[in-house]
Amino acid sequence: MNRYDKFLIIFILISSVVLYGTMEWFVRASTSEKVVAIVTYREEEILRIDMSIDDTYVVQGTLGEVFIEVKDRALRVEKETSPYNLCSIQGWVEFANVPIVCLPNHIVIMIQNTKSQPEGEDSVIQ
Amino acid sequence: MRKHSPTRRLTLITMLLAMSILMHMLEPSLPIPVPGVKLGLANILGLITLILFDVKSMVLLNLMRVVIASLLRGIIFGTGFWLSMGGVVFSTIITLILYKTNKFTPIGLSVASSAFHGLGQIVVLILINQTAMMIYWLPLLWFSSVPTGWITGNISTQVLKRLKA
Repeated sequence: MNRYDKFLIIFILISSVVLYGTMEWFVRASTSEKVVAIVTYREEEILRIDMSIDDTYVVQGTLGEVFIEVKDRALRVEKETSPYNLCSIQGWVEFANVPIVCLPNHIVIMIQNTKSQPEGEDSVIQ
Repeated sequence: MRKHSPTRRLTLITMLLAMSILMHMLEPSLPIPVPGVKLGLANILGLITLILFDVKSMVLLNLMRVVIASLLRGIIFGTGFWLSMGGVVFSTIITLILYKTNKFTPIGLSVASSAFHGLGQIVVLILINQTAMMIYWLPLLWFSSVPTGWITGNISTQVLKRLKA
């Protein structure tokens, strides 16, 4: 390994850390109180989950049922039918920057922070 | 590189292609605890082909590997195929650019190839799912490309040392 290799490796490590830091900051900055998870099947929304309620949901994927568990404002795919079970191996997800993609089942789960409408008078545009 | 007769060259490239297809198909069964991260063993054969033969042979080997392995697995033109193809196209381009500079060893080439393989897959995922959210996987893939690229680069170096001996 020569010095150019070392520069390249350091560049990749630094850019991955900077990229992660930027994304993390962006997600935290946009976090509001109400958090929902959107489940899509073949790019169509099939379920919207309120992350503040602990529960288990079942959606139909291409290869079978996909069990989604919500607990303590975190979400995971509890079990599913797929060749390598990567979705369930991924484990708990609580931030919007980590989508769960179950490719064999064509299921994508994304956590979204929705800004809650402020109570009181509506704004007036003149 | 030693001068090979056309027949010997064809035989060697075919053997490398067969091995790369085998690696490509066996790799998903290797247990790696991080989802979406693979060692990229098939890239070793691409790198060996580039250094032992030429750019054209490497490009052909990489593209044929993805097409033939996808045909054998029955996923041709499916999501998995496009993911592999996106990764291979990006990793091949960056490998060739860095190789032409003559400044990098197989370890550096492997790390860059691994990083851009991840980038290519993310681009394809964004195009398929029509959501930029997939870019959040990129830091993980880039970070993991250093150890995986280092391992495959070292294996390539050792194999090349023995082949050239």
